[in-house]
Amino acid sequence: MTYMLFLSQVLNGLGTGAIYALIALGYTMVYGIVKLINFAHGDILMVGSYTAVLVMTGLGLPFPIALMASMIVCVVFGVLIERIAYKPLRESPRICSLITAIGVSYLLQNSAQLIFSAYPRPFPTVFRVKPLVIGGLSISFTTILTVTTAVVLMIALHIFVMKSRTGKAMRACSEDTGAAQLMGINVNLTISATFAIGCALAGVGACLYCVAYPSVAPTMGSMPGLKAFIAAVLGGIGILPGAMLGGFFMGIAESLTKAYISTQLSDAVVYGILIVVLLVKPSGILGKTTREKV
Amino acid sequence: MKKLVSVLLMLAMVFSFILPALAAEETIKIGGIGCLTGAYAMYGIGVKNGVDLYIDEINAAGGIDGKLVEMVWEDEEGDPAKATNAYSKLVENDGVVAIIGSVLTTPTDAVADYAAEDEMPLITASATAYYVTTDRPTVFRTCFIDPFQGYSMANFVKEEFGATKLAVLYENGNEYSVGLKDTFMAQAEVNGQEIVAIEATAAKDVDFKAQLTKIKDAAPEVVFLPYYGPEAALILTQANELGLDVKFVGADGISSTIDSISDKSLLKNMWYSDHFSNDADSDMVKNFLAGYVAKYGEEPSISFSATGYDAALVMCEAIKAAGSTEPEAIVEALRATNVEGVSGLLTFDDHNDPIKSAFILNFNEEGEQVFVKQQNP
Repeated sequence: MTYMLFLSQVLNGLGTGAIYALIALGYTMVYGIVKLINFAHGDILMVGSYTAVLVMTGLGLPFPIALMASMIVCVVFGVLIERIAYKPLRESPRICSLITAIGVSYLLQNSAQLIFSAYPRPFPTVFRVKPLVIGGLSISFTTILTVTTAVVLMIALHIFVMKSRTGKAMRACSEDTGAAQLMGINVNLTISATFAIGCALAGVGACLYCVAYPSVAPTMGSMPGLKAFIAAVLGGIGILPGAMLGGFFMGIAESLTKAYISTQLSDAVVYGILIVVLLVKPSGILGKTTREKV
Repeated sequence: MKKLVSVLLMLAMVFSFILPALAAEETIKIGGIGCLTGAYAMYGIGVKNGVDLYIDEINAAGGIDGKLVEMVWEDEEGDPAKATNAYSKLVENDGVVAIIGSVLTTPTDAVADYAAEDEMPLITASATAYYVTTDRPTVFRTCFIDPFQGYSMANFVKEEFGATKLAVLYENGNEYSVGLKDTFMAQAEVNGQEIVAIEATAAKDVDFKAQLTKIKDAAPEVVFLPYYGPEAALILTQANELGLDVKFVGADGISSTIDSISDKSLLKNMWYSDHFSNDADSDMVKNFLAGYVAKYGEEPSISFSATGYDAALVMCEAIKAAGSTEPEAIVEALRATNVEGVSGLLTFDDHNDPIKSAFILNFNEEGEQVFVKQQNP
């Protein structure tokens, strides 16, 4: 039974980790290309969640349409935020855009509080599926759904970045923006595309998050946003498979800490792991160590 | 014109000094303090309506030992300074023998301080903070403090479900949650019920699966959830996902789960306690509601009308039992209180908090509240 309990806890962790991973992909992509930690990314998740809940309860439309709407609204928000708030600061010191990102995050949170009030709204039940039971181990449908979606999207994204023209442009910009521009790559368009893809993923993440935790509130994005950011750093920021690995790692570490060490210490243990990893391997688990040229 | 007004005012003032002195011979005066206007007026009016209803009833039945009871109300607008002024006025000018009030915790705390010093008997119908009655032997209340519901729920699951294996999930660092957990566990121990799992969560948690998986592994019959609605909704949803099929019980905080949950059918596995229910099935409650509707034209909207009614009832019974209006005699009688009020059978513990009935509710398939029973202490 203890073995079963361990496996159940790992599964719980995979479910949470998959959502962290999806959000972490957005962080990592944006960082990889503009070296900006987009702190408003977690709040894009919140925007996506409110879109989905309004489409479903307000307009009475089914979940797939809500998912599409959530992705579209997230993309629009992401691209607009980049154009209005980040682009003018692209040549300024990095600390300026970082602070702007924090400002945008609060702007989104407070606006949502003003429009929707602080009281959490329930997210409608989408899937009424009994948990799958394999030899005493019950796997909830939500876990299966989130893990598969996250893995499939990560693989698709990886292929996109490696094979497609836009993907190649993204990699070029990430390596050297100036040189990429000289080679005739439209840097502005590429950056916008990066934000758009990251935010579309946040839209998917939002819907999965709401299926798993059916409660939508203005500040809902800050905690998963922070955890996903850590997942991205843990896996190696700027590296796509790293975000996925970091996300799953975080989820499982959290779940096992809650189960075997202490529910109160789960966040402390996760951050402790982050510190250890960064001390041993500053560029993250999958990060390449680049030697500083003096 | 101005002169006339001032003369009238003067006369009014003189009479206000003389009249109480004249009336004091025939009536027993009780002072009432509450926020009757201002932002929290709904609470003050709720309490006042309940108190006045009982006073009307006792006077219609001949008063106490042939003397009529007179309530003298003072509005304190929720302000502690105004509340203590009101107290001084009632005690020094109106010569009241006891106080019912105040309504909100902070003004009540201020007034209770004065009352304890003067050894004036005081009952509040609505101040739930623990410290209001601490080290104040003349201060009582008829509402229970929040953690008390844990005591009732442990008894309820024993009597109603025969549950012997219990689990507790609570939020660490949250006074409401921890207080309820403590009283629930203490009473479970007294009842000989086994606590098979105690799991804690942190503030703002949304993922409870790790804790619920451990609880499922411990196989309890009942899980106690001292939470508010939004968290309880997430817990019920995730428990269902994990296939944890047990009974969930909690206190008044989870009555709002209905607003936060989308799958309302999950609510039928949940029972919770509340301070009062208009649907309660006792003659006392039915008479109270009928009297209230007759006097005010609507059913009471907050449970403090019931505790207000009980506060007046307890105070009048104590004065009757004391056989005098001496403060010490009234306090002595209050301490020995054992009466049936609308909010249940009432006695006081060493801390002057009521040991009384809780009202247990449940939800039906459509997510509507259903009254289950009155859980006597």
